[in-house]
Amino acid sequence: MLDVTKGGKDDITVKAKSQTRLISLCVNGEWREVAVKPRNMLVEVIRDSLGLTGTKASCESGTCGACTVLLESRPVLGCITLAVECDGKRVQTVEGLADGEKLSPIQEAFLDQGAVQCGFCTPGMLMSATALLERNPKPTRQEINKALEGNLCRCTGYNSIVAAVLQASGQGGVRPVME
Amino acid sequence: MIFFDFDYQRAQTLEDAVALLARLQGGARALAGGTDLLPSMRMENIKPDLLVSLSAIEPGEPQMLADGSIRIDALSRLASLENSSVLRSKVPMLAQSAHVVGGNQIRQMGTLGGNLCQEIRCLYLDQKHDYQFVAPCYKRGGECCYPFPRNRPDTCWSVYMSDIAPALIALDAQVEILGETGSRCIRVEELYTGNGLEPLRLGHAELLRAVVIPPSPRGFGWGFHKSTVRGGLEFGMAVIAVSLQLAQDGKTCTDARMVIGAVREGPARPAAAERSLTGAVLDEARLAQAAAEASKEINPLPHHGFTKRHLMDNIRVYLRRTLAQAMERARSPGTAA
Repeated sequence: MLDVTKGGKDDITVKAKSQTRLISLCVNGEWREVAVKPRNMLVEVIRDSLGLTGTKASCESGTCGACTVLLESRPVLGCITLAVECDGKRVQTVEGLADGEKLSPIQEAFLDQGAVQCGFCTPGMLMSATALLERNPKPTRQEINKALEGNLCRCTGYNSIVAAVLQASGQGGVRPVME
Repeated sequence: MIFFDFDYQRAQTLEDAVALLARLQGGARALAGGTDLLPSMRMENIKPDLLVSLSAIEPGEPQMLADGSIRIDALSRLASLENSSVLRSKVPMLAQSAHVVGGNQIRQMGTLGGNLCQEIRCLYLDQKHDYQFVAPCYKRGGECCYPFPRNRPDTCWSVYMSDIAPALIALDAQVEILGETGSRCIRVEELYTGNGLEPLRLGHAELLRAVVIPPSPRGFGWGFHKSTVRGGLEFGMAVIAVSLQLAQDGKTCTDARMVIGAVREGPARPAAAERSLTGAVLDEARLAQAAAEASKEINPLPHHGFTKRHLMDNIRVYLRRTLAQAMERARSPGTAA
């Protein structure tokens, strides 16, 4: 730790900048220690250091929402969150939704409604939807639109995704299978 | 992904953060939500040696002061502003303006202070500059301006896109700024220089501590509108915040504030159009005339593909509608608050 009372600009050496630090993250209920540099983003650590590649890195500038994870139950963008900022915090990724082989209701609903096409936005969509349903178990269509506005999908046109969230919250039937 | 190394320290108090920022003499930046700073660092428009994280400092709840003002911690998350029942009933315009910022994740991460201190935006500037093989612009220390080739070297005509700043200015709010020598209070509009090269009147070792919003008296009405293409997860093409103060008769305007954001280097107020409403008896035609005058007076900068003509039309129409909304609210005291 730097002493804030003395010293000057020259204290910040190249060595200090590239130094790795050990942080502990509670990922999907399991505490993990990882070495990170200050410049590493949360999504890089989750994918590259922890090997949880379910979370996608897409725009990497905070515009698309594909990297959404839950940090202390709040949906945040992993691509613009420094990993060092998350030291000692709980992170939930898409891998933490299913219970073993059993999918969570929101995952089931995405499958039922055909809300997955190329699938790249799906992990982020699932995390945003999970955060919404935790806070608000019976959201209206409008509330779902607002909660998912930070997640871009270029395939589905969003209707099936909204339908899936409605289904998961017990407000819509399963789409009938076409004969 | 950020392509250069920097050091990171977590400050335990705002005073510690200010001391660290002062020591680094401009080589350090304060990190709150990071939703604006980290993308700028990714594009290498900002390259600090040290990030001073404010994440260990818990924001306080909004406080009611003795004179009826509300003091809001600058580190409050935007999501906590839009969902706060106190703010929704006392300053609905602020809650509304926080509600339209970015997407849900951005509002969960971003802070009030960070939103006010965001960088100006420009299609040329907001990209990675490696492999471009063109000279840097004035803002990046170069010798030209791509969007406005005839611009002068001492200005940058980029636009400042905060949604919350126009609302705070319409509410006549103040910011408390903490520096090395203690804190000072200025009106929110004084925070902006009107020059994109240095958009904020804030020293390198100064941080916003709180925003103080004065109480809204009887006969006060507000209107807010953010014009966008998609309706979510984007910066506005124009952000309009207005407040009207009506006299006891419910017709005569005693004070009018119109603030247009996202079309100039800082939030802009059409002073002449505001004066033309003060003392006037308001009706739809009067408001329409003021909105038309204001859209000319503001002289919007074309930005992000929107032409000046388009922005002027947008401001004229939506300013008229928000003014009408404000007049409606001012006349029905139940909803004015």
